[in-house]
Amino acid sequence: MHLTDKEKRMAGGEEGEGVRRSMELLIKLGDSFGAEKLAPISYGHISYDFCPEKFWNLMTEGLEKTSHRVTTHPSYQPEIWKEWGLPLADRWIGEHERKLETFKRLGWLRTETCAEYLLGIIPRKGDIVSMGGSCMQVANNSLFGARVDRMGILVSLAAAVCGRTPLMGLLLQENRYASHIVELKDLDVSDWTSSHYHCLGYCIGDRIPGFRPVAVNGLPPHLPFDFIRALVISMPTSGSVTLGHIVGNTPEAPTLDAACGGKRPEHVITIGKREMAETWQRLNVWENDRVDHVAFGCPHATIDEIGRIAGLLEGKKIRTSLLIGASAPVETLARQQGWAGIIEHAGGHFLPVCPSIGNPFTRRDIAGEKQARSAATNSARSAHYLATVSGVQVFFGTEEECINAAITGRWRGKVPIWK
Amino acid sequence: MEIGAHTVCAGKAEGEAVVYEGPFSFMGDMDPLTGRICVPRHPLEGQSLVNKVFVFTTGKGSSAGDCAAWAARENGTMPAAIICLESEPILSGAVIITGIPTVDRPHKNPFDLIRTGDCIRVDADAGIIEITQK
Repeated sequence: MHLTDKEKRMAGGEEGEGVRRSMELLIKLGDSFGAEKLAPISYGHISYDFCPEKFWNLMTEGLEKTSHRVTTHPSYQPEIWKEWGLPLADRWIGEHERKLETFKRLGWLRTETCAEYLLGIIPRKGDIVSMGGSCMQVANNSLFGARVDRMGILVSLAAAVCGRTPLMGLLLQENRYASHIVELKDLDVSDWTSSHYHCLGYCIGDRIPGFRPVAVNGLPPHLPFDFIRALVISMPTSGSVTLGHIVGNTPEAPTLDAACGGKRPEHVITIGKREMAETWQRLNVWENDRVDHVAFGCPHATIDEIGRIAGLLEGKKIRTSLLIGASAPVETLARQQGWAGIIEHAGGHFLPVCPSIGNPFTRRDIAGEKQARSAATNSARSAHYLATVSGVQVFFGTEEECINAAITGRWRGKVPIWK
Repeated sequence: MEIGAHTVCAGKAEGEAVVYEGPFSFMGDMDPLTGRICVPRHPLEGQSLVNKVFVFTTGKGSSAGDCAAWAARENGTMPAAIICLESEPILSGAVIITGIPTVDRPHKNPFDLIRTGDCIRVDADAGIIEITQK
């Protein structure tokens, strides 16, 4: 790999051990993919809470304030978990506080969300950004046309430390054209909700081998933001698609030809009623209908989603625990609207945590004997990780079905009748 | 029998093969405490990957894959080596950080040649997969 003189000094340890180790990792990764050089990033996005402390310390050792912006993924909130009486909350406090201290010392931004674009931190088309969080990667690539390659959370820390990322994969225009086309067959989407798009995205991710871009053809143009977001963020859960072109909806896909770079890929995958029904059933992993917990906000909730949930909960009390994953600024807006108050009065909670992987109610290593044994969600991504990481029973359905479950403590959701 | 392959992470290891003709993520597919496949209804549900040579198609899923791999390495529950058809950056980062000898793009289809239980030697320095015992 070609390195500039400054990069050679960074790799040689002149800017400290953290930078040296981070450069070593980026160079090894880039070499394994044949990257010719490193590219400077517009900004970096990391996760300090998901990062093991030992690795965090190795990579940030000797690091000074960075000149580039660095933001962060959903955080843990062990002090609040403790207030809520979650028995193992104490265990998480020390490590969280120590890493947060370094994070703040470096001048990095506590965005604490997987949906930073809702805070106005939006890369421009063509900006190179390094990011942890596969949902951030696919959303910023697909919805805004930023250049974000797939990378792990630990690698994203190395990229943020160095302000550089290997020039490879989706950073290169020739790799951004669709290698597979998804054609929708006999599906009437006129009454679909976000959950239906989550299901479609999960179904696509599962059927596309590998990590190359796809183009989804056959959806109406100008779909609501929440719908195309749900569609693309579910793809890297069941698979590894990190750029989904939604023809007529996303910036690099005004037409199918544009999404494919003028060359028609050979691989066409058709999705119809049978595939959708199978996927919806697969996302439901439960034996009895008792619901202990309801999780919203994967990815972090938009203000519209919170408004709809508040509308459904007004004047109601819930029997389950209910968590909405949302960034602090979006929660503040919801509070200003009076919606946060309605939801909390009903018994719900807001936190800037990941409600899927880092959900304090369903994680046995946080909630201990108070662990919820079953959870309902409107997100395919959440359904997948609640079942696998927390190991709980999972109900997947629409927002309305999830709210009904919260109020009654029972699941009455139905697999949709596909039109 | 030897099969050439491309090096993702250098190193040498050997062990018993576990073959799965599908994608894999360290986050959510393998319990880092036990090293076992933990996906409900997965064809390999409950199968241990500890010290095995794990053969699969490609990486997938969450970017926390490298964090989960790190946790598994701390617990001593990682596979000995990995062979896949084509790696992707999250999987590659995970194996480079944890130092698991890994090769991809094998010159022959490993799903035709390797069965679960075969003894496999992976020389990722040289980019060679050797089937030592069927």
